[in-house]
Amino acid sequence: MQDLLYFSQQLINGLTIGSTYALIAIGYTMVYGIIGMINFAHGEIYMIGAYTALIAITGLATLGIAWLPLVLIVALICAMIVSSSMGWAVERVAYRPVRGRHRLIPLISAIGMSIFLQNYVHLAQGSRNVGFPALIDGSFRFGSSEGFQLSLSYMQITIFITTLVCMTALSLFISRSRIGRACRAVSQDLGMANLLGIDTNRIISATFVIGAALAAVAGLLLGMYYGSVDPLFGFIAGLKAFTAAVLGGIGSIPGAMLGGLILGVAESMTSGYLSGEYKDVVAFGLLILILLFKPTGLLGKPEVEKI
Amino acid sequence: MTARNFKHALFCAVITMVVAYPILGLNLVARGTRVGLEGADTSTLVAIFVAAMVVFSFQLYRDTIMAALGKIPKLPPLAGREPMPQAKRVKMESWVLTGIIVLALFWPFFVSRGSVDLATLVLIYIMLALGLNVVVGLAGLLDLGYVAFYAVGAYTFALLSQYMGISFWMALPLGALFAALFGLVLGFPVLRLRGDYLAIVTLGFGEIIRILLNNWTAVTGGPNGIGGIPEPTLFGMEFGRRVKEEGNTSFHETFGIAYSGEHKVIFLYLIALVLAVITALVIRRLMRMPVGRAWEALREDEIAARSLGLSRTAVKLSAFTIGAFFAGFAGTVFASKQGFISPESFVFLESAIILAIVVLGGMGSQLGVVLAAIAVTILPELAREFSDYRMLVFGAAMVLMMVWRPQGLMPMRRTHIELKRQE
Amino acid sequence: MKTSVRKLAAAVGASVALIAAGHAGAEIRIGIAGPMTGPVAQYGDMQFSGARMAIERINAAGGVMGEQLVGVEVDDVCDPKQAVTVANRLVNQGVQYVVGHLCSSSTQPASDIYEDEGILMITPASTSPQITQRGYELLFRTIGLDSMQGPVAGNFIVNQSPNRVAVIHDKQQYGEGIATAVRDTLRGAGVEVAMFEGITAGDKDFSSLVTKIKQANVDFVYYGGYHPELGLILRQARQADVSSRFMGPEGVGNKDINTIAGEAAEGLLVTLPPSFDEKEENQDLVAAFAAKGEDTSGPFVLTSYAAVQLIADGIEQAGSKDPFEVAKALRAGTFETPIGNVQFDQAGDMESFEFVVYEWHSDGSKTPVN
Repeated sequence: MQDLLYFSQQLINGLTIGSTYALIAIGYTMVYGIIGMINFAHGEIYMIGAYTALIAITGLATLGIAWLPLVLIVALICAMIVSSSMGWAVERVAYRPVRGRHRLIPLISAIGMSIFLQNYVHLAQGSRNVGFPALIDGSFRFGSSEGFQLSLSYMQITIFITTLVCMTALSLFISRSRIGRACRAVSQDLGMANLLGIDTNRIISATFVIGAALAAVAGLLLGMYYGSVDPLFGFIAGLKAFTAAVLGGIGSIPGAMLGGLILGVAESMTSGYLSGEYKDVVAFGLLILILLFKPTGLLGKPEVEKI
Repeated sequence: MTARNFKHALFCAVITMVVAYPILGLNLVARGTRVGLEGADTSTLVAIFVAAMVVFSFQLYRDTIMAALGKIPKLPPLAGREPMPQAKRVKMESWVLTGIIVLALFWPFFVSRGSVDLATLVLIYIMLALGLNVVVGLAGLLDLGYVAFYAVGAYTFALLSQYMGISFWMALPLGALFAALFGLVLGFPVLRLRGDYLAIVTLGFGEIIRILLNNWTAVTGGPNGIGGIPEPTLFGMEFGRRVKEEGNTSFHETFGIAYSGEHKVIFLYLIALVLAVITALVIRRLMRMPVGRAWEALREDEIAARSLGLSRTAVKLSAFTIGAFFAGFAGTVFASKQGFISPESFVFLESAIILAIVVLGGMGSQLGVVLAAIAVTILPELAREFSDYRMLVFGAAMVLMMVWRPQGLMPMRRTHIELKRQE
Repeated sequence: MKTSVRKLAAAVGASVALIAAGHAGAEIRIGIAGPMTGPVAQYGDMQFSGARMAIERINAAGGVMGEQLVGVEVDDVCDPKQAVTVANRLVNQGVQYVVGHLCSSSTQPASDIYEDEGILMITPASTSPQITQRGYELLFRTIGLDSMQGPVAGNFIVNQSPNRVAVIHDKQQYGEGIATAVRDTLRGAGVEVAMFEGITAGDKDFSSLVTKIKQANVDFVYYGGYHPELGLILRQARQADVSSRFMGPEGVGNKDINTIAGEAAEGLLVTLPPSFDEKEENQDLVAAFAAKGEDTSGPFVLTSYAAVQLIADGIEQAGSKDPFEVAKALRAGTFETPIGNVQFDQAGDMESFEFVVYEWHSDGSKTPVN
């Protein structure tokens, strides 16, 4: 009985982390789906989202505003605005001018951007770990056995629900709205979409903005859940999210969700049953295996090499 | 100036403010047990505002500015001059290179210990960058985990010396060969992947190797690293104050001169110099051999190259292995220079720095890479107060290079035959 | 921004000092090496503030053998590679005495260079026993060892008679060393160590670890490492309703842990050097720090002050500026410092150094236990 409870607890831990990976992975998967490049700086945009949210929360606290829903909404909106602007600016500055060149060139440009943003925040905000206030505290408890109690914290529930809402909204947006339709058209064939009168530059910008906004949501959630932020934590999270995107099949939005959850659970099971030291090895090992044996991922479409 | 331009410029300026203000203008500071906010000083705020204004006016007059830039007559390369005959150019180049090497040989005897130490580091980076240049610049395989091979070389030496008492000179070829073997084994499965997937997989490998080094405490010492790595000896003469190994003599006693820490530093520098020159010469030779041409052919057009009967795997694997070999070389020298290594030295950022050197220098170009290695390592030392900004400038430079001059500072030039223009 | 401005000021200060040194020629340069940036820069701040104050006060009192002390500050970011680089830079600048480094993993490689170059080094903060085990002639420290601190913590836990204990560490030289000492003490006393596990420094997600701690049903958790990780562990443990008591070494005893852990920091046990700043005879000194707006409650402020003072006293005692002579004098005598009477053994460690168990509170204050 206790083993089962332990397993369930680790599963909950994994699913929580996994759903935030999924939110970040959307940014990778959409960008890759449309222009076929890896947006290396996406992890940094997530980190900036977390910082902005923390700045907003601290600012409100200084002003004496403590009504929780208001604080959360203001922090969320601020983070989304700043991250989206960042996403837009990054695309404009670093990616648009090199679009269509040799594959390696946008990638190197993206790595440069990632290093730049990391150090931008590092210089502006210092390299210390900054504590993130625990706004949502407390938990549901159930099923106790031999002193072990399964607990599901309110924060974890918040993360699940927010992720679910964001994913549903995104799916509806992509399938129903005009811009969503244009997005799909552009990812099918950029040149053709252009000929049909779609402003492809605008659509590509929109992709970056949407991805960045979701990363900001993840930044706020994870900041509150973990408890601190530092300028370096975006990079590793970005890599993990990218792994999730590849795992699920890059370019596919349900794939990103699935990949995120699988990765999160794999990590938490590794820490739970083996040792936390090896969880990154498992994540990267999974990435390598998937790329070697099924480069299209779980839900991805096979890509035809055009000559 | 149209209304549309104005709107766009305004939008860009607002975005600049939004991107800059929260992060630069509001600083999170720890106040006792709480986190508080502190507004930045006025100069930062002014700087943000000025930046927004610059963006605004640039976007507003963008068309005019771009047109003006376009009008500046491009300096026609070698315009009006007869291009230097190839034979003469090659001859001159080799003279210049010889001169530089001779200068580099004698230079350390006249400068301070710190400069020599730094120069050794530069030479290590040159070796690394030359090696990565083969993989990225010539073969067009983006390897983001290059530092793994560097780590393999360094750890091979450290472990061999710790457990088997092997000296630097024995470890040098072993470290390089072991790294090459690693490249071969890792390269085999991954090389069939396409460009950006390959990049990510190599990145993953690099991280896995680092994490394993970090966690395998029993053998590698984990994060504590391995210390007491011996320095190279000169025919059994040691450069330390006291002789560490039985049977060795000490350098200063043999020659009857006073002990000086500088001897050791200069000796290491000279070794690094010789190895860097060897690396450059070997790679130069390889570039002109069929295998070098095959690398470039594959980079330029994989399908065409394969149709001509080149084996994709063999060609890519050879580049990967040779790159790894030189990284192992550099790793051994690095371990010996530091006397202490830990996984901290082999993080992704290191891979990114080496890549930045290759990119800045011009992919494929040897002289460019050497100059870039010098610039990247020395500039931050010269402007020490600004060393904080080193990585920031790095990142920005990588982006700007890709946007404006993806071929690098000194693009590679192949010896080629030019057809006489028809009169 | 602030740190970089300060660094700039420090750099300018150092270069001005160097130029001045070139003119006067009668100054004793002391290198101060520690992290000014990076995740544990707080501890570096303590070290620098202590050393600066000592230099200031000694100079005000007429210097050492009529010569003024000049501090040369360098930043090693607590990174072993940087430590080697800055050590070489100090050698280059002709520094003969160093106060530093802070992290054991930096101190170790740097000390190889100093020993080789004949530079005397006193570390005010590195606690790994290995450092002084190598028989170096010019290496001293003004802080206790993990092998002293570990047993203090271990015996304290034994006295609470817990059933099961978990020992976690961050796999760094400092954290793992002290955690191993605690584990061995516990095992020696017959207490069951249910878990002994490493984490990755810099990680943020400890939910799986916390669940593991919960399942292991331990009443005590000892953590060897620094505050950024323990702060998160405390907080995530609280979220998951873990009721075990937590304990850590002086590396977690810092107000920053409160900004991260918040309420969850209440009741954390910390082994610290005794609060030297509460001693009668140091009140004068504490007031001098307070006048500069600096805080003396950090564990390394006064150890660092003492390190500078010991160098000065050692030079006076030896009547020579030769580091080897000074080292001999330091081993021979007993010195009165703000951290008590210091007497060094052959290895360069203090003959006795006390650790006290404190209880940490969520407002950043601490009270001695028992």
